[in-house]
Amino acid sequence: MNRKYELVYIVSPDATEDQVSDLHTQVDGIVQRLGGQIEKTDNWGRRRLAYEIGRHKEGTYVLEVINGSGDLMKEIDRRLKLFDLVIRHLVVRVDEDQEVIERARTKRGQVSSRRRIARGLPSERQPGEGQRGDSDDDRDDRFDMTEDRR
Amino acid sequence: MNGRKTFGGGRGGGRAGQNQQGKNGQQRRPMFRRRKVCKFCTDKIDDINYKDTRLLMSFVPERAKILPRRISGTCAMHQRKLRTSIMRARQLALIPFTSE
Repeated sequence: MNRKYELVYIVSPDATEDQVSDLHTQVDGIVQRLGGQIEKTDNWGRRRLAYEIGRHKEGTYVLEVINGSGDLMKEIDRRLKLFDLVIRHLVVRVDEDQEVIERARTKRGQVSSRRRIARGLPSERQPGEGQRGDSDDDRDDRFDMTEDRR
Repeated sequence: MNGRKTFGGGRGGGRAGQNQQGKNGQQRRPMFRRRKVCKFCTDKIDDINYKDTRLLMSFVPERAKILPRRISGTCAMHQRKLRTSIMRARQLALIPFTSE
């Protein structure tokens, strides 16, 4: 059963570049061993944390997109808990959500093209054709903090 | 904190008058409020992602609490997705749980 997961882990700011890449190879090793593959790796670099974790105020974020089974992610989760260098990590399953998004997108495309054909327009939106301007003041009062009193 | 943008000018700001006479010139009913619409539906944002801090931050005012539907006008489905995304982002210290 192959599923798609996203793994983000925060490495302690004390870690060197080598240690970060070493961690990546370790994760890669586990993934290989349990029959998955890493689809994408993205190092976000050093970022400020929104709150202190332990005594750390910064951390290096690494994102990995992994194809694999649930057991594989369980193992990675367990292993990441043991590394002292990893101060936080998160595993999220993404394949289902992406499917939903994809479906919503195609459905909207179909609906809009059908409507456009019904109105006698070409099915795709022409460049330079706008129904409503993206004016800035439209945004301004979208979140005014007044309450709905009805 | 870290240069994030807050909006609305605080709770209850603009309650008296100026708000009702927006650009539409709606002054007939005394307590008219413009109907709020879901940002995600109008802007056609399908993907509410925990990594998109900029987007999520616009729903997290100063105290770092999640902006309620009643105020933002987000529809139920998108508020639900927004909530999970914000909670994930909080775990990863991308968004604060609270801020003084």
